[in-house]
Amino acid sequence: MLYVILVFAPLVGAIVAGLFGRQIGDRGAQIVTCGLMGLSALFSVIAIFSTVGAEPFRVPLFTWMNVATFEVDWALRIDALSGVMMFVVSFISFFIHVYSVGYMSHDKSIPRFMSYLSLFTFAMLMLVTSDNLIQLFFGWEGVGVASYLLIGFWYTKPSACAAAIKAFLVNRVGDVGLMLGIAVCYLLFDSVQYDVIFAGAAAMADATVVVFGGEFHALTVVGILLFIGAMGKSAQLGLHTWLPDAMEGPTPVSALIHAATMVTAGVFLVARFSPVYEYAPVALAMVAFIGASTAIFAATIGLTQFDIKRVIAYSTCSQLGYMFFACGVGAYSAGIFHLYTHAFFKALLFLGAGSVIHAMSDEQDMRKMGGIWRKIPVTYAMMWIGTLALVGFPFTAGFYSKDAILEAAWASTNSFHLYAFWLGITAAVLTAFYSGRLIFMTFHGPCRADEHVQSHIHESPKVMTIPLGVLAAGALLAGFFGYGMIAEDGSWWAGAIFSHPDNTVLHDLHYVPLWVKLSPIVAMAVGLGLSYLFYMRMTEMPGRVASALKPLHTFFYNKWYFDELYDRIFVRPAKALGLGLWRGGDQAIIDRFGPDGVAAAALATARRASRLQTGFVYHYAFAMLIGVAFLVSWYMMVGRG
Amino acid sequence: MTPHLLLFYLFATVAVAAAVMVVSARNPVHSVLFLILTFFNAAALFILIGAEFLAMVLVVVYVGAVAVLFMFVVMMLNVNFVRMRQGFLQYLPVGGLIGVILLVELILVAGTWVVADTPEAIEPRPTTAGLTNTEALGNVFYTEYFYLFQAAGVILLVAIIGAIALTLRDRGNIRRQDIGEQVHRDRASAVQLRKVKSRAGI
Amino acid sequence: MTEALPAFDIVPALPEVFLLLAGMALLVVGAMRDKDASRVVTPLAALALLVAALFVIGADKTADPIFSGHFVFDSFAAFLKVVILAGSAVSIVLAQGYLEDQELDRFEFPLLILFSSLGMCMMVSANSFLALYMALELQSLPLYVLAAFNRDQLRSTEAGLKYFVLGALASGMLLYGCSLVYGFTGTILFDDLGAMLLGTENGTLELGIGALVGLVFIAAGLAFKLSAVPFHMWAPDVYEGAPTPVTAFFAAAPKVAAVGLTLRVLMQPFGPVAGEWQQIIVFIAIASMLLGAFAAIRQTNIKRLLAYSGIGHIGFALVGLAAGTERGIYGVLIYMTIYLVMTLGTFTVVLMMRRQGRYIETIDDLAGLSSTRPLMAAAMAIFMFSLAGIPPLAGFFGKLYVFMAAVEAGLTPLAVLGVLASVVGAYYYLRIVKLMYFDEPAEAFDRQGRLELQAICAVSAVLVLGFILIPGPLLATAQAAAAALMP
Repeated sequence: MLYVILVFAPLVGAIVAGLFGRQIGDRGAQIVTCGLMGLSALFSVIAIFSTVGAEPFRVPLFTWMNVATFEVDWALRIDALSGVMMFVVSFISFFIHVYSVGYMSHDKSIPRFMSYLSLFTFAMLMLVTSDNLIQLFFGWEGVGVASYLLIGFWYTKPSACAAAIKAFLVNRVGDVGLMLGIAVCYLLFDSVQYDVIFAGAAAMADATVVVFGGEFHALTVVGILLFIGAMGKSAQLGLHTWLPDAMEGPTPVSALIHAATMVTAGVFLVARFSPVYEYAPVALAMVAFIGASTAIFAATIGLTQFDIKRVIAYSTCSQLGYMFFACGVGAYSAGIFHLYTHAFFKALLFLGAGSVIHAMSDEQDMRKMGGIWRKIPVTYAMMWIGTLALVGFPFTAGFYSKDAILEAAWASTNSFHLYAFWLGITAAVLTAFYSGRLIFMTFHGPCRADEHVQSHIHESPKVMTIPLGVLAAGALLAGFFGYGMIAEDGSWWAGAIFSHPDNTVLHDLHYVPLWVKLSPIVAMAVGLGLSYLFYMRMTEMPGRVASALKPLHTFFYNKWYFDELYDRIFVRPAKALGLGLWRGGDQAIIDRFGPDGVAAAALATARRASRLQTGFVYHYAFAMLIGVAFLVSWYMMVGRG
Repeated sequence: MTPHLLLFYLFATVAVAAAVMVVSARNPVHSVLFLILTFFNAAALFILIGAEFLAMVLVVVYVGAVAVLFMFVVMMLNVNFVRMRQGFLQYLPVGGLIGVILLVELILVAGTWVVADTPEAIEPRPTTAGLTNTEALGNVFYTEYFYLFQAAGVILLVAIIGAIALTLRDRGNIRRQDIGEQVHRDRASAVQLRKVKSRAGI
Repeated sequence: MTEALPAFDIVPALPEVFLLLAGMALLVVGAMRDKDASRVVTPLAALALLVAALFVIGADKTADPIFSGHFVFDSFAAFLKVVILAGSAVSIVLAQGYLEDQELDRFEFPLLILFSSLGMCMMVSANSFLALYMALELQSLPLYVLAAFNRDQLRSTEAGLKYFVLGALASGMLLYGCSLVYGFTGTILFDDLGAMLLGTENGTLELGIGALVGLVFIAAGLAFKLSAVPFHMWAPDVYEGAPTPVTAFFAAAPKVAAVGLTLRVLMQPFGPVAGEWQQIIVFIAIASMLLGAFAAIRQTNIKRLLAYSGIGHIGFALVGLAAGTERGIYGVLIYMTIYLVMTLGTFTVVLMMRRQGRYIETIDDLAGLSSTRPLMAAAMAIFMFSLAGIPPLAGFFGKLYVFMAAVEAGLTPLAVLGVLASVVGAYYYLRIVKLMYFDEPAEAFDRQGRLELQAICAVSAVLVLGFILIPGPLLATAQAAAAALMP
């Protein structure tokens, strides 16, 4: 019951605020959604304590469909993994709800916003508690829709609409992978139920499927297809282009969806399917490779961006890469651990950035900020905490999880483990550098804003700073509380995450050479130090370096030309093909002979058909008699054959 | 040719001829009269096969009630049947064709009729040995066909409700007798004593 | 008295007995009450129908036929009875507002619906040709009266009269068919006939030509009740002429009952000779689907349009029957249940079309409804999309099940024709949506004050939308019902 309320309270909030927003007013909508979300968050705290180390169980709700052997239920799967996810989602979502009350206070459609937020939370909870792949898909698409609605929340802004559509379309590419993965699962296991799939994975370790005429290792195919789905949702290299653009949405949305929760769904999916991935080393290698590449790739772009939210967005992208390669090297729990700590500090950073933007009268460009730390000290402190956690400053949340990931990468036996390790270390340097750059450019140095904006700089209201405080506490302390997640014996998970007996990475990561253990701290120190040097001491250095490495800088600044590349390869040819088919094929041939011709014929037939209806009763009776006579004659003459 | 058969052909021929006259007579009153003739002949046919109860019912109900009601309606409404028949010739060819086709087909069907050769199969059901028609019917009405009999009753009830719903009008200007009110009238409500002044009126 | 009376087992018929007693009691209540008779009788009649439905749900569904084999109560009958009783109850509730506005609120109205529903329950439980005929008449007679219920209006009386005359003709055909079958087979009981046809060598008896012609006549009589082509001509005129709530009732429960009766007659006694009647059903189904799709396009009156839409939908349902398999029956049952919900919902919206106290019924009046009454427009759009059979709404699944059954039974061309017809049909449903959402708004409708209309509309819309989420219960009961009909 507790879990049912936990999952469905946000849905109730969304429905009430969405349908009756006009009746209950802005205040009412805020109270309802925040209240129900608070209830859910409260239960999620209970949930995490009761699920850790406890046996998994399922809460059946009702049968969804039952067609021959294809049976799907609505049910909640409760185990340590979904417990952690529920906690992260509900808890952070609650504080973001509260924060939004302040942040969106000047908006015209508050009930709509609150309703979307709650709807998103419901879909996300549905996703993480799903008991089978179809239900997962429901949640998956549900968060996609909510994300679309929220990115395009200011739908009068063309750029927001474009970003929303882009996010949706890019995600569809990933979804194709997910759907195919589900289909292959059903083909292999004759079920979409997790229990059945996980129990049967070992037996299927040597099975093969035929794809395009070639035989492939079945579980590898499943793993890769599911990972393609995860790549779309989690903005991994190749399908990442939507995430930076998604920053067009209101900042709380960026914090909730595009940093803390939704984008981690892919990591969750990989961890949830650990029983399958453990038997698919090739798929794992791919996960590790893509994850590590994303980590470094996004970090390089983060170095050069000026929009404060975009910097954090690329940082998210990069951190997601960390989580993936953690899963890829077999340390799923380290990946989830990082997911959990990252949720706190990234939400904190985003909300802090929101607070800055709020203070700067909606200015997002860091080149027009600077020197404002005295005016908004609380936000400044919070941003520092978030940054320290992000770069992995000792004893903050990020320190534990990032360390664990890098150590796991070193200790693993995955073919890409050293690639992952070294790229991870490099990315850690870059992370520290651009984080420092963000802090120094935004808060220190001379103020570069105009007079008018400067006079308006003010600290945010309590309703915004208190959530910041709570999240900051989480960013500092979450590491201690979650450290059990990466314990050697895996008792924390009680079977929710599966490790093959040969996979000893969780054991090995505690016994790596000292220099490996120290390298993340060194990387952090180097990165932060360099940024201090560049942006506080020798402020002419960035410009000089940029012009010295001009080609590289342009390359990074333009995000490795991914958008342009996609535009050339996919968008323009597709558009040209579409135009050609439309003008030449559709309008000239199909329309002329198809719909238009058929429609004209249909209208003519309709005219004739309605003329039959004369209104005279004896005509009708006559028609009936003719009908009978016809049928009888039919049987007398032909019918009996 | 037994007298039995002779009588059958006589009544049957008259019944069919009268039925044709029902639809072809110009005067609606004549139509109804021919209808009554058809009923009588049908009743006679029933008697020929020993179903005297049905024959009586046919006469009493159809002739005594239904046909008389028809007669009333025809005489009260004064419908112009000549005008209604104007389209008759126009539809005659097609209508006739369909009619002939159906007729031929039904005759063909009748041709396939085989009477079962076992005597039990052509026995009337239920067996009527030693019972009059009326008794035999009564026996099954309330036992085997109880359900259908009740259903027929409900249909009649619905017919009454329907007729009332469609035709009964509460006309404000018609006085009705309300016996309850009459009986309950007492002196106090019925009689009023007034002092009448002379030459002033009430 | 020489023989003892046979003991009557009336338990399986309890819902009918209850309905009859309730109807008679309410008749007395109505006659005793003076002014407010309809306000008292209406809710009670609706309640009685629902109580009867509860009786049905609670009853034992495996009883043997009773009343000397004339009456049978099985899962199939139970399923349809619940649908019929619920549909009738909703129709009664729907009507009250309209009747009050038009000063037609006489207590006979709910009673006629109640008695008609009694007839429908008896129809789906009929187990002999006589019971079938009696039930059909009991169901039809109130319908004739209801069509003419607005007796001071020419259109309504004309509708009643037309319906009555043609109905009598259809009844005549049906009865003639029954007598032919009786004459050529010697029995009126479905069970006996079914056993007889099944008992002959390898189950494929050459049904005598006489009985076959009888079957054709019976099918024609039933097709009239279904308003299937070519016995459909009454439907548009009657739908248009009858008062709107009566039309709503016509389009809902009686159709379900007629389909149920058709299924029972064709699958049980004539089940072993399915090959014989399949051709009739295929012909009627194709003709109905095509006519329903084409003739509706040019209609301007929404009630008339819905009449053609109903004809088309009966065609789709008959596709499932044409398959003649358990899957087919299953599809038909689901189709009709969904159809009932969609139709009642649509008519609720039609009943809300009121401008300055006057009811209006032309399609053009719906123009721009989305800007004047957005919720109403949304509900109507849901019903229209569902009627057109667009996934993921309920209407799509109805079509899916019948077409699937047809394909499985090897009737692929029929299914293809059905899909084509539904594409043409989508034209006029979508035209309404286009009118509501993209055209210049006409004058706004009156604010709807009647809560029951809004509630029914909302519930229907939710059912249509939500079917995909919780189809389980309906599918399971329909499965059991279909299985009960197979030998």
